[in-house]
Parts: sequence; structure tokens; C-alpha cells
Amino acid sequence: MQDLLWFLPAWPPEFDEPMAFGALLLAGLVGGEVVNRVLALPRITGYVLAGIACGPYGLGLVEGPLFNEARLFVDLALGLIMFELGARLDFAWLARNRWLSVAAIGESLGAFFAIYLALLYAGFAPLLAGCAAAVGTATSPAVVMLVTQELRASGQITERMLLFTAVNCAVAFVALTLLLPLVYLEYKADWRSALLHPLYVLLGAALLGFAACQLMLWLAKWLGKREDRQFVLQVGMIVLVVGLARAADVTVGVALLAFGVFARNRDFSHALLPLRFGYAGQLLFVVLFVLTGASLDFGFLAQAAGVATAFIVARFLGKAAAILAFGRLSGLRAGGAGLLSLSLLPMSGLAVVMVWDTAALFPAFGTELAAVVLSAVAILELVGPLATQFALRHAGEASAEERA
Amino acid sequence: MNALPFAPSAPLSLGVELELQLVRAHDHDLAHEAGDLIARLAKKKVPGAVKPEVTLSMVELNSSIQQGYGGLLAELEAQRAAVREAAGMLNLRVAGGGTHPFHKWSERRVFPAARFQSVVERYGFLAKQFTVFGQHIHIGCASGDDAIYLTHMLTRHVPQFIALSAASPFYQGEDTSFQSSRLTAVSAFPLSGHMPFVRDWREFVLYFETMRGVGIVESMKDFYWDIRPKPEYGTIEIRVCDTPLTIRRAALLAAYAQALACYYLAERPLEPAAAVYQMNAYNRFEACRYGYGGTLVEPFERRRKAIGEDILDSIAHVMPHAVRLGSAQGLADLSAEVRGGYSDAGWLRAQRGASGTLADVVRKAAERWATG
Repeated sequence: MQDLLWFLPAWPPEFDEPMAFGALLLAGLVGGEVVNRVLALPRITGYVLAGIACGPYGLGLVEGPLFNEARLFVDLALGLIMFELGARLDFAWLARNRWLSVAAIGESLGAFFAIYLALLYAGFAPLLAGCAAAVGTATSPAVVMLVTQELRASGQITERMLLFTAVNCAVAFVALTLLLPLVYLEYKADWRSALLHPLYVLLGAALLGFAACQLMLWLAKWLGKREDRQFVLQVGMIVLVVGLARAADVTVGVALLAFGVFARNRDFSHALLPLRFGYAGQLLFVVLFVLTGASLDFGFLAQAAGVATAFIVARFLGKAAAILAFGRLSGLRAGGAGLLSLSLLPMSGLAVVMVWDTAALFPAFGTELAAVVLSAVAILELVGPLATQFALRHAGEASAEERA
Repeated sequence: MNALPFAPSAPLSLGVELELQLVRAHDHDLAHEAGDLIARLAKKKVPGAVKPEVTLSMVELNSSIQQGYGGLLAELEAQRAAVREAAGMLNLRVAGGGTHPFHKWSERRVFPAARFQSVVERYGFLAKQFTVFGQHIHIGCASGDDAIYLTHMLTRHVPQFIALSAASPFYQGEDTSFQSSRLTAVSAFPLSGHMPFVRDWREFVLYFETMRGVGIVESMKDFYWDIRPKPEYGTIEIRVCDTPLTIRRAALLAAYAQALACYYLAERPLEPAAAVYQMNAYNRFEACRYGYGGTLVEPFERRRKAIGEDILDSIAHVMPHAVRLGSAQGLADLSAEVRGGYSDAGWLRAQRGASGTLADVVRKAAERWATG
């Protein structure tokens, strides 16, 4: 029999990348739609739930470190998002509105130190607390971008949420990178690589972003202002930079964030068209959230629930304190500070990536870090999108149809 | 007869309302942040007033009552400085122009106030499509009869005001081929058009009472006429102008209206004529479509005339009054611009020609408003 049917593939079939991509996409699509129709929750929550359902805590269809295997999709999706987010970091606005700069930096530092102190108080080692705080400083760029897109939100709270997210992601990357030498020393590595590696990762990524921006501006000028061509150009450049960053072993997120920031602030002759990646981006984002859901780790949650809660509460209070202190001065309307703080709650795939990247360098330390951070991510992955959606709707910045 | 009392005001006093576009910094589409901007400006000492309009994408600057061109320009400049500063804090751009070139009307959000919500309930999609930007000019009148006379006389100049202010060549992402496409958005309203041909204030009040009696209108606000008397201010209000791209041109249009009013009230050169209204729709279309290059029919002389030439003749005619009012230099400059063929609509088209995108047109219009 077996000889006769030699042409049949082995059973079970190998789960290759196109299959994984397609299956995750469809699972997310169905999950998002069901959750949106039945529970009236954001589709993102549905993508995540679909991921959980497929993952080790659900049906177990996807086993093992899928997040690492499908890292290409994650990097591409985060790349697209970080670029778009970077393009919202408008230096001219920050320069004109000094209190806004103070609020944005204050929000990042507030979150960092609040988490740091809370974890120290809970008895964690300073280095671990610092790294966890650095990861926690960042708001999930994917969640804020996607909720904004889904609600077609526009207004002061939305603009500032995106700006603050760009700033706190940058601060998180820098803080984590600055802490790396200490981790190196802790694990008795050579002090030279302890200094050079973080420097390389950060500056290399920024340099890559800068060079890519110059090339893209040059090409954009040559192509002219045609939406179809610029769409291909921008997507092509983003994918290329993701690939280069991976090849050069620099942080993908930093490279793309820098790329976006330079594109926004160095396009002096306005050669670039503002593009939305629309349906094309949607494909990657769905997969990103399903993967994040599938890789959520509830294993630590039982023992780390208390710490995770402290982490989340301290993080929120740290962010809110700075925004409440400087919000009005920066021109936020009454009641806006609270909503803005709430909108910045999400933590998601970026945090997972940061933890994984650290774990790849220092496995033992990474496991400790994961226990603290990923439990908080597991909670915020579900609560965060709701918070952002609530904030933008109550700010009156969702489009009319979406509010109905 | 006291149903609609005309509160007299200082003759030839002057005021303008300017509806302005609020634009997002990152893609130059319309913003929804009028509420934030107005709240911010409410804390500052700004001369005149800054008010909301029907959608969250627009604000309206109101000057206080002014005597002439110089004072008006100075006040508008002070207002612009305040608006520019506040908008900068919110990362908004502010621009003139009669339409936003590429916004989608369906994306507009209505200002959360009862009177705007009721406009939407009444007019449906027209209300959101009414996100167009005009300049209104108020001229003070000593009596209701003067207001009626002046309305009839200035109606003859409506095509001139349209051509002089035309700044809406683009609409919903397309070049309309018009110099001013904004007025078509106004024409859709049932009570647009012009005042009926009444002889004096008494007759006007009778007309108003009839309309109110049968429930067509509640107040003068319900008439969307090109020029309407505004009895509670004691003014007539010219409403056909697109908001110009610059403060200076807005002040010049007002100065020209003032000089015309001065000429008609002081000299009473002509009697009101029904012919003005018979030719009005044609003349108005020519002005919207072709600007200075259009041809109007001069209703008193019954002859065809290029609109640009007609403007130059009228300005020359009222120049002695402009001298007295202190706006002679301004009107001479305006004449020179007409002679040179400059219009805001032409400037906007040139910006598109230079770069190809409407977002760039908006960006440059906003830069121009901030400095010009």
C-alpha cells in the first residue's frame, strides 16, 4: 500500500511558512469578526483571542516557539508600524510646544521610574527591575496604530497618543540598550563587547534608518508624486530595511523607527506622499496579533499575578502623573489628560520582541525578565485595546459611523 | 411693524467674518479640532471673536466694528497672530481659500452644539457639504431703508466680489474648472439666492412677516442670500466672497465694499432696478466660472462687459470716496492686481501645476495664510 501511494505526502504534513501565514490570517480574521459582532469588542482583541485559541493554552494547534519561527512576519509587521509611527514624530511640533516635549519625555520617564521602584519594592534585583521598566516604558505601537485605523480616529488625543508612543518606544529602546552593558558585566562578559555591542545595535540601527531615508528621498524625488509608485517605493524600502536590520543584527524596531522619524523630519522638499498602508498592512497586522496571542505566556501568571498587577498599575500611574502634570500646559483640553493616559495603556508584541531579544543574548536573565514582563503583557494584551478604544471614543475622536 | 426692528448703526462702519480651514499637519486633510482651538483661544486676549462653525473643521474669525481699512487690517493681523500661535501648539495648520481641495465631505464631524445639530437634522448631507469657507462683509446703515437700497445696489456688484475673492478651484479632489466652486454648495439650500425686489424696509418687513407667518423661516438667519440685511446689527451682509488666501486681501475686499457703499449712499446715483435681478443668475455664473475673464451683462446700460474691466471701472469710480475713507492706496493695489490678472484661484492652480498634488496646494496655502 505504502509503495503504491508513494506520491502522498507524509502525515502529518510539515507546517511550512505559507501555510502558517494563511492559517493564522484566517484564524485571526474569523476571531476578530466573531468578537466584534458578538461582544462588540475591538477586532484586535479577537485576533489575540484567536491566537490564544490556536496556541498552547488553547487547542494546541500551534506548539513551540512559533513566535521565533515566524519572526519574519513579526518583524515585517512591526517594521511597517514603527515606520508609520516614526513618521508621526514631528520635531517641529515638539519645538513649538515645549510643554508637549516635557509631557512626552515625562510620560516615558514617569513610566520607567514608577515600574522600576515598584519592582524594587517587590524585591527584584535592580538590574532586572531596570530592564523590565525599560520594556514597560513603551506603549504598544501596533495597538495604538490599529485602533486608530479601526476607529478612523483623528484629533488631539489621537495625535498625542501616537506622538507619545513614538517617543516612549524610542526611550524604551535607548534605556534597554543602555542597561545591556550592565547585564553583560553581570554575566561576566568582556567589558569591551559590553560597551561595543549596545553601541553597535543602537547606532547601527539609527544609521541604517538614516541611509535608507536618504535613498528613499532621492528615489521619491525622481519618481515624482504618484501614489502608486510611492506606495511600492515606501513598502519596498521598509521591507528592505527590515531585511538589512536582521542581516546586520541591529534592532529592527529602532531601525524602522529612525527611518520613519527621518522621513518625516528630513523631507525638506516634501517629496514624500503621506501614505496609509491600508489592506496591505492589515494582512501583516492580523498575523502579528494572532502570533502575539499564540505566544502569550500564562504559565507565570499564577505566581506572578501580584507582580504583574503592580507592574501595570505603577506603569499607568507613572504615565498618568506626567500627563496630568503637563497636559494642560501643553494645550490639552480639560479631561483630555485622563483619556490620553488611558489610551497609552497597551503593551503587546513589541514588548515580547524586546524580551525575546534579551533572552537570546542572556537565556537565564531572559527567563527572569519574561516572568515579570510577559505576565503583564498577557493581561494588557486583552485590556489595552479596550482602554485605547474607550479613550478615543470618549474623546469624541472616532469617526461618526464607528461611534454609532 | 416692530416685528423686525432695524437697529441703526454708524453708517459705513465695517466688519468681516472669515471662515477658515483647519488642516492636519501630517497629511493636510481637514482636522476635526475646532473645539480645542477655540477653547485655547478663549484663554487669550484676542480682539474680535473666534467662533465655531457647523463642522469641526472650520473656525470663524469675527472682527469688531471698524471704521476703515487700516484698522480692520491691523485687527485681522492681531487675530491671525493669536490663531497661528494657538494652532501651532496643537500642530494644526490654518488656511484661507473657499474650499478644501480634497477632503471628503462625508468624513466631516458636526460641532457638538444644539444649533449645528439641528442644521444637520434639517438639511442632511447639505450640512456637511457646507464645509466651505466664505468671507462675510458687514456694512453699517443708518436705517432699514438705506439697507434695502444698498442691498439692491450692491447686488449689481456681486459678480465683482465673486471674481475678486475666487479661491475655490478644487473641490472633492478635482479641478472644477471654476474660479469659485464654493457658491454651488450654497445654492443647494432652499432659501439661498437673493432678497426679493422690495422698495423699502416697510415692504421688506411685510415680506418677512409673510414668510414667518407660513412657517418658512423663523428669523433672518434662515435666509442664505448673497446679500442680506442684518437688522439686529444695523448692517447689510455681503456673503458671496470665498475666504481669500491672505488677510490683506480680505481687508481689501471689505474696503472696496465700504467705498461702494459710500458712493451709493452719498450720491444715490441710480434707482433700484429689477433688471439687476433678471441678469443676476447669468452674471453670477460667469463670475464663478471664469472670474475676471467672464462676461457680465451691465443691467443699467444693457451691454456686455468683461468682469475684470467692470471691476476696474467701478474701483476708479469710487476712488474719490476711498480717498476720504483712507483706503485709496489699498484699492489702487487691488486694481493693479486685477490688471495683472492675479486671483487666488489662479495662484492655487499654479501651486498644483508646480507639484502635482493637492496636499501641497493646501500646505502652501497654509504657509501663505500664516505670512501673507
